[in-house]
Parts: sequence; structure tokens; C-alpha cells
Amino acid sequence: MSDDKTLAETLAQRGISRRSFLKFCASIASLMAMPPAMAVEMAEKLAAARRQSVVYLSFQECTGCLESLTRSHSPKLEDLIFDAISLDYQETLVACAGHFAEHILKEAIEKNDGKFILMVDGSIPLKDGGIYSTIAGRTNLDILEWVAPHAAAVIAVGSCAAFGGIPKANPNPTGAVAVSDIIKDKPIINVPGCPPIPVVITGVIAHYLTMGTIPDLDELGRPKVFFGDSIHDRCYRRPFYDQGKFAKSFDDEGARNGWCLFELGCKGPTTHNACATTKWNGGVSFPIESGHGCLGCSEPDFWDAGSFYTALSAPTKDVANWAAIGVAAGAAIGVAAGIANRSTKTETKRTRKPLTVDDLKGKPKS
Amino acid sequence: MNSLKGIPIIKLDATPVMSHGNALPLLHEIEVLLDQLIATGKSGAIDLRSLPMLADDYEKLKEILGEGEVKATVDAMGPSQVRETAIHGVWWVTHFNSDATVLAEFIEITYIPEILQTHPADARMGLENLRSRLMSTSQVDKGETDV
Amino acid sequence: MNIFDILQWARGTGLQIAVVIFSVGVLIRLLEMWMLNRKPDLAEPRASGTLGGWRTVFTRSAPSMVLMKKAGLLLVSGYIFHLGFFIVLFFFAPHIRLFHNMFGVSWPALPNGIIEIITILSIGALFALLAHRIMNPVQRFLSTFQDYFVWLASLLPLLTGYLLLHTSDFSYSQMLTAHLLSVELLLVIFPFTKLMHAFTTFFSRWYTGAMAARKGVTV
Repeated sequence: MSDDKTLAETLAQRGISRRSFLKFCASIASLMAMPPAMAVEMAEKLAAARRQSVVYLSFQECTGCLESLTRSHSPKLEDLIFDAISLDYQETLVACAGHFAEHILKEAIEKNDGKFILMVDGSIPLKDGGIYSTIAGRTNLDILEWVAPHAAAVIAVGSCAAFGGIPKANPNPTGAVAVSDIIKDKPIINVPGCPPIPVVITGVIAHYLTMGTIPDLDELGRPKVFFGDSIHDRCYRRPFYDQGKFAKSFDDEGARNGWCLFELGCKGPTTHNACATTKWNGGVSFPIESGHGCLGCSEPDFWDAGSFYTALSAPTKDVANWAAIGVAAGAAIGVAAGIANRSTKTETKRTRKPLTVDDLKGKPKS
Repeated sequence: MNSLKGIPIIKLDATPVMSHGNALPLLHEIEVLLDQLIATGKSGAIDLRSLPMLADDYEKLKEILGEGEVKATVDAMGPSQVRETAIHGVWWVTHFNSDATVLAEFIEITYIPEILQTHPADARMGLENLRSRLMSTSQVDKGETDV
Repeated sequence: MNIFDILQWARGTGLQIAVVIFSVGVLIRLLEMWMLNRKPDLAEPRASGTLGGWRTVFTRSAPSMVLMKKAGLLLVSGYIFHLGFFIVLFFFAPHIRLFHNMFGVSWPALPNGIIEIITILSIGALFALLAHRIMNPVQRFLSTFQDYFVWLASLLPLLTGYLLLHTSDFSYSQMLTAHLLSVELLLVIFPFTKLMHAFTTFFSRWYTGAMAARKGVTV
């Protein structure tokens, strides 16, 4: 496919009309909570865009993110974005293998130096020289430090690339870190989730293609349009939280009535993601709709944030035993202090010299 | 509860969903947008998926807006339904994916929804297309007369 | 260090530290006071001191009509704040969840709407009390830094807790972190400030009542 044609021209040859662009952009705009009128403008820009080169590197990961992205649906409107990009390197999807595959990566970097988008999936192990994850004899760190300086922007796909994810979970045996811990001089868009919502990934790419910029990011580097609201803010069970109606177990009356799952450990209030609005599996549902609390997978260190089944208001560590230790220690110290105070009292009483008239007259005692 | 049989089967009455009362404010917004359309010619749209709508709100909205004269289907990578409601100038646009899931849903307040209009670039392509068809037809015609 | 790390610290280690300081501090202070006991009163009691003590615990806790006339605002605000703080602390569902998690006991909660109203009333009462403290010359003269500090430390958990229920302008994580830290601050300063009165007030009332009862006086 020639790269100097616009997307509209390329796709028109395949019978994909501008109405499809409009429709795609309408759904993206809806997803990104943009005013519906933006869709028309976005469609114009997307139609006029050139194909964007993308290099996708997989590090310490489970390929769940790629599964989420590529197996999201049968060929559909969202896949239009795949026509808009030229995925120049992706180990799992690349047709060739071995030296050929490595050659393709080198070629992709050279051909689009400073222009391609680098998508990274997985965390990077640093311990023991990064030997815990290597590709073609090179460590992940080595590859990232080689490729990233040539990219226009980096999209960290999934919680591992964005925050270290499960590989980084306590005790972090491989010394895993996030992309942002290594790459400091490139714009990095974090698209966390375990896995991330596929349309969120495509939405970020669509934003880059149509606006030519990276979207507004929050303090954790996540696009605000998708991660601006908490699950709790957008949850259809929110009214039950406000009414104080909570399921106490997964099979009680409250659970059957669809009440709030806060007490069963739902992390919705502290989790920022678009699950409650975009939903999963082509809009079927999302975890809370299926009766299970949110795990908080798009937040840093979600794996170590206490039990998935402990309410957010409850402590993540053992406090009761520490309180008991505190009471015991307090009692011991208190009694000791009390005894000390008593002996001071006795001593004071013993050594106390009563005031005499002579004292008042200022005469020295004889 | 170690086996599947240990999980009790409990039959529940389907309880009606309580309305949030989101339909009425939405209808008022439509009223404002329609007024604006008439006054300034500026189209407006409301993204139905951006609002926490329950089934009752949805039905209420459908009931009040009603069914109009125009029903169109656009087939662009999955169907899109474009229907004018009984309130002229208020359109209900639903975009479906190729597996019939709803991608986006809008109430558009406009004289004609954007997706029904032909894009100028598409019209140019149509013209080229038509001309090439005419050309081949006239060539065929010529060929026939020659015989 | 992001907000999430701070939140995790506040929910775990921070809470542990605060609870230990609180329990150690409160016990030391209570035991110290208790062990500095007075000499036994060898006089023949006119009535049971124990009973008189308990009576006073209740009578002094009920509103006084005399004070109501003299300092109504102070009295009403005081009651609203103290009762409100107690109700919010012990009858808000997420708080009960915390106690259940720590001690394995739970009890029915009040609806969030009622908790919200009580929280607003308590915050209002705190501000009325502050206004009185500043505007009344005598009370202002008697106020030290600690009085204002303790006022702020009592306000913050209520305020952050209220904002936690109304997260439209704030992120829940940020507010929850602020709420937990404010509660931890309150726990840490508790044993070493006037906040100790939450424990000592009832001992003191009992003692006053018991002493008086032995002498045949009802207070």
C-alpha cells in the first residue's frame, strides 16, 4: 500500500466510504466525551491523514493486552484504525522470524526515524542487568533504550508498561519497572488496565492521527478523556451507594438486587477507567455489572493494594493486632510511669519541709 | 458449598427498574436546541451514551418523541439507523457495529443528519465514476452499431 | 511517589502507626491519672458514692437549663458537634466496615443521606463554636494555640469525609487519602491534647458525683 495516499483514498479503493469515517469518529467522540459536533471535524482530519507507522514492542508481559486489542471483535468499525496505521513490527504478529524479524525492526526505525509511534507492552526488568527478559539475546532495557529515542511518542499499553504491573508486584523478583521509569525525554501516554479496553487504545491512536497531538494526560500520564472519571462516578450502581444499600456477600439479597459492592471490596471509587461507560466484550457488560467488584487494575500497584475483597475503608494491613500491642505496651508503660510518679510523690512528701514563720520573715534557719 | 449442587437456585421476580428521572431534563435540552436550530440554523446533538440512562428513561424519551415519517438505514461497516421522530427536526441516530451492538447513539437536532448527506469528495468520486461508466457504455453502444 | 502510594501508606502503615500511638498514649495517660489516687476517705459515707457517681455521669451529660439560658448557642453547638461526630464515626457504613475488619463486630448503618445531614450540622456547629471562641473576649483570652489546633484537627476528618461523598470536583483517591491522613493526625495528637477529655470527662463526672454523694449532696 502506498504511503503517500490519504486514508480516505486508500480506503475508498476498498469500498470504505466517508460515512464509515463519520460513524467511526462519532463513536470515538462519544467514547471520549467530546461534543458530538467534533465527530465531523475528526472525520475530515482522519480521512486526510497519512498512514501512521507503529512499532510495537513486547517485554515482560502476558500478551493479554495484544489479545484485547486484536481479538476484541470480528472485523468491525473499530478495526478501521488498523487501516490507519502501519504496524511495522510486532513480534507476535510478524510473519517472519529470527534475523528477518530483527531486520524489520531496524528498517522500521530507520525509515520513520522520529515519526513512528512506539507502543510498549510489558514491564522492563532491571535486576541482575535485566537478564530476566531478553529478545534475540538483547535485554528489554537495551532494546527500549535503542528504539525509544527514535520514536515520536510512546504509548505504554497495559498496567505493566504503564506502572510495572504484576511483574512489579511485591517482592518484584525481576526488579521490574515501568516505561516512564526509563524513558524521560519522550511524551509517554499511559494506557493502563489489565488488559486495557481495546477502544481506549484505538481511541488514543485516533486522537493522535486526527489532532496530531497527544491527548490531555492526568498526573499518572493517562488520557483524561478515558481515565478522568472513576468507575464509581460512572457506575450504574452508584445510586445504591448513595442510599447506603450494600451487598454484604456475593449471594445475599443485596447482591441479587444489584446493590453496591463497596463492602465486598470494590475498588471503583479509587479506580480511573472507562469500563463503566465503554464496557467490555463489545459493550456486553463490565465486571461490576457481572456482580464482581472492580479490582482497580488500571491503578499503580493494584496487586499490592490489599485484598480484592476488603472494603476500601478497611485497612490494608493488620491494625487490630497492632492496636492490641499498643494497648499492652501502653498499659505496661502507664503502670511503670504510675509507679514512678508514686515514688516521686512519696519522695516529695518525705523531703518536704514545712513553711515556718521564720521562712516568711526571711530569717535563716537555725 | 463445594459442589455445583451446593449453590442454591433462587427464583426472583423481575423487579421494575426505578427511573432516575433523566428523561425530562433531556427533553428540555432538546427543546432549547430545537429553538436554536430555528433561530440560528445551528445543529445540535446529544450523546445518549454519555448519560446514565436507565431503561425507563429511555422508554419515556422514545414515548414522548414518538415515531416520525423518515426511517433510513445507512450501511457503512455495520448499519446505522436514522429516524426522524414525531417532532420534526429531532432525529434519533443509532450506529451499530457489524455484529449489531450499539456503537453510539445520538439525538440530533438538525434539518438533515450529517451521515445522510453526501460528502463533496464522495460526490466528486461519484462524478468520476459516472463518467467512466458513461464512457464504457457509449463505447459499447458504438461497438454495437459497428457490427 | 504518587497519590496512590500515599493512599496505600495511609491505609496500611500510616494507620498502624497512628493506632499504636493512640492506644499507647491513651493508656499511659489514663493509668498515670488513675494511679495518682487520693488517700482513702475514712469518713462514714452518707450515701453510696458509686451510685452518686453514675448519677452525675448522666445528669451532667443532659443539657442544663441554666446554661441554656446563659450560653444557648455554645450549649446547642456543643451537643450537635459531639453527638454528630459520634454518630458519623460509628453509624456510617464504610466506618462500620472498618470496625468489622479490625474487630470482627458490626452493627446496622444509617443511610448515607442522614449521615450527610449530620456531618453538615456538625461542621456548622464547629464553626459556630470557633466564632464564639474568637468573638467572646474572655474565651479568646483563655484560648491557646492548642485550642485552635484541636479545633482544626476535629474539623478536617468531617470536612474531608463530607467531600468524599461529593467527589464531583475532587478525585475520590485524593479525598480518601486526605480523610485517612486527617483521621490519623487526630489519633496521633489525641492522647497529648485536650482531646483526651473524650475519655476523662466521664471519669471526672463520676468522681465529682461520687465525692459529693459520700457527703450526702446530689450534683
